[in-house]
Amino acid sequence: MTNRMRIPWSVCGIVALFSIAACAPSATNKPDSAASAKSADADASGADRRAGEGQRGGTGESNTGASSLKQMQEGKSPVTPASSPLKDVFYEFDRYDLSADARSTLRANADWLKNNASARVEIEGHCDERGTSEYNLALGAKRAQAAREFLSSLGIPADRLSTISYGQEIPVCREHSEDCWKQNRRARFVIVQGRSTS
Amino acid sequence: MGFKIALIILFLSIRPWVASGAVTGEIRGQGGERFPIAVSPLKNTGGNTADSARLSTGIADAMVHDLELSGWFKVLDRSAYIENAQSSGVTLGTFDFKDWATIGAEGLVKGGFSVQGDDVTVELRLFDVYQNKERIGKRYTGRVRDYRRIAHKFVDEIINQFTGVPGVFNTRIAYVSNSGGRFKEIFVSHLDGSEKFQVTDNHTINLSPVWSPDGRSILYSSFKDRNQTLFLFELYSGKEIKFTPRGGGRYLSGKFSPDGQTIVATLESGGNTNLYLLDRSGNVIRRLTNDPGIEVSPAWSPDGKQVVFVSDRSGSPQLYILDVSGGAARRLTYSGNYNTSPEWSPRGDRIVYTGRVGNRFAIFTIPVDGGEARKLTSESFDSEDPTWSPDGRFIAFSSNRAGKYHLYVMQAGGDNQRRLTGSGGDDTKPHWSPRLD
Repeated sequence: MTNRMRIPWSVCGIVALFSIAACAPSATNKPDSAASAKSADADASGADRRAGEGQRGGTGESNTGASSLKQMQEGKSPVTPASSPLKDVFYEFDRYDLSADARSTLRANADWLKNNASARVEIEGHCDERGTSEYNLALGAKRAQAAREFLSSLGIPADRLSTISYGQEIPVCREHSEDCWKQNRRARFVIVQGRSTS
Repeated sequence: MGFKIALIILFLSIRPWVASGAVTGEIRGQGGERFPIAVSPLKNTGGNTADSARLSTGIADAMVHDLELSGWFKVLDRSAYIENAQSSGVTLGTFDFKDWATIGAEGLVKGGFSVQGDDVTVELRLFDVYQNKERIGKRYTGRVRDYRRIAHKFVDEIINQFTGVPGVFNTRIAYVSNSGGRFKEIFVSHLDGSEKFQVTDNHTINLSPVWSPDGRSILYSSFKDRNQTLFLFELYSGKEIKFTPRGGGRYLSGKFSPDGQTIVATLESGGNTNLYLLDRSGNVIRRLTNDPGIEVSPAWSPDGKQVVFVSDRSGSPQLYILDVSGGAARRLTYSGNYNTSPEWSPRGDRIVYTGRVGNRFAIFTIPVDGGEARKLTSESFDSEDPTWSPDGRFIAFSSNRAGKYHLYVMQAGGDNQRRLTGSGGDDTKPHWSPRLD
């Protein structure tokens, strides 16, 4: 190898380094867009794009709790309140089929939804901590979709039911044991209003 | 943004070192063990001395870190060094090789520095103690605060001298950390944890950071706009592009093709996940899979012609390979009932992935053509999310062997597993940058 000057190459590198330090704050100081209720969901129909977040809306006496993401942001556990009319359903490890218990719970949830026809629900799919984050996001989507399809089969209009997967990212129980994991392998039902469905 | 030109490299001399094992890519000392090398504290050759002690040992410490992380060198303990670094010379003929041969060093790194204001000039040399020769000599000029990068670049040269392929220590790792809280944010840092930079600060969940092949951008997925999708963040400018699926659904993750022109992404829609080829703006070029099951975690072959990914079409998550140009996918893994997060070696020959062993997760590699998988980590703890170094000689991953998840690096065969990060939280999902300038 001959003696080579690599000045342009080196300059490029150092510019990159300094740019990061110089430019990062402007990027990270943007308003927290998660706090905005404006949804980027491409499925949104225009009429449904009114602002709404978490538990706002629904029927006055019912409380499913806010979305798990919002609860996490507020420092709360994403637990479904005991008073919620819509109960969680649970799944086996790496499965998204519905057990007899899950179907029974979904039938009760469907009954309430039939009696509260203005309520729109976002179904959250969750997983336990085991396995890969991305696979669990896909698995959570399957779990939420399985619950949605069963509710639809019981006569709940699909446009009242949206889904979201949080994978393993927002556990309700944070111990590393099967007792805990089985609580996290769940679909959760959050009443939303004015939110688009997908 | 006016940046000063800060780093100039002069190649003072480069001659081949006919060291034992040099042609095999392995570095071994005379006894077949790790190559014994001494790294002297640097000599202050002039200028401001306020930073003298920090630079003298700091540059040496950074080189020691890299040499030990490589697993190829045995760095001799500094307390055994005989000569005084500040009074002896740093060039051939100005110090006594016997002082180093006596303590068992076969290689020796010496150097000097001088500070001028905010800038530092560093000269580093690698000597062959047996043959009393200089093997590499380089001069670097940079900002004082960048002294560790100078050390990383010189170690990359040392490894090039031995193996014919430069080292990978002037690189960075992008990863996810909860910093002990519940939010997950994206960070990048050097392998030694220095120059840590927080890419996201949106107090939600940010996942799956990957580098663009030019090292200038980070693609990651985020819940910051409530529905998960991908964002492409330019490290240089701070600009960010949001990827919005036109037909609905959510992007879960993406990976740049080796040429940087396209992205293979996972799109979830109606509960199904499939792979799509996107352009750099997030527009769909074409759909790659059409399966009712789970299809996630795509990764490119180094020639950009194939993608390895995870599918549960057999009933459990397994690895498959498809040609990007079309055709049926070929199943790669048959052992184990949970194989995920594949990454294709830059050398092309093996694929690393996470596999379930009992109730634990371990890192495996498997030949691209199939065959016997090799387990690289113990199942007495969890190891996940492997990522290759740009030369394919190392694998970084996350593991909970010390309680919380931290990042680790090992050689591609599983040897020399060493911890990289020690933040108070869980550090996960590492992605190794390309070589940086």
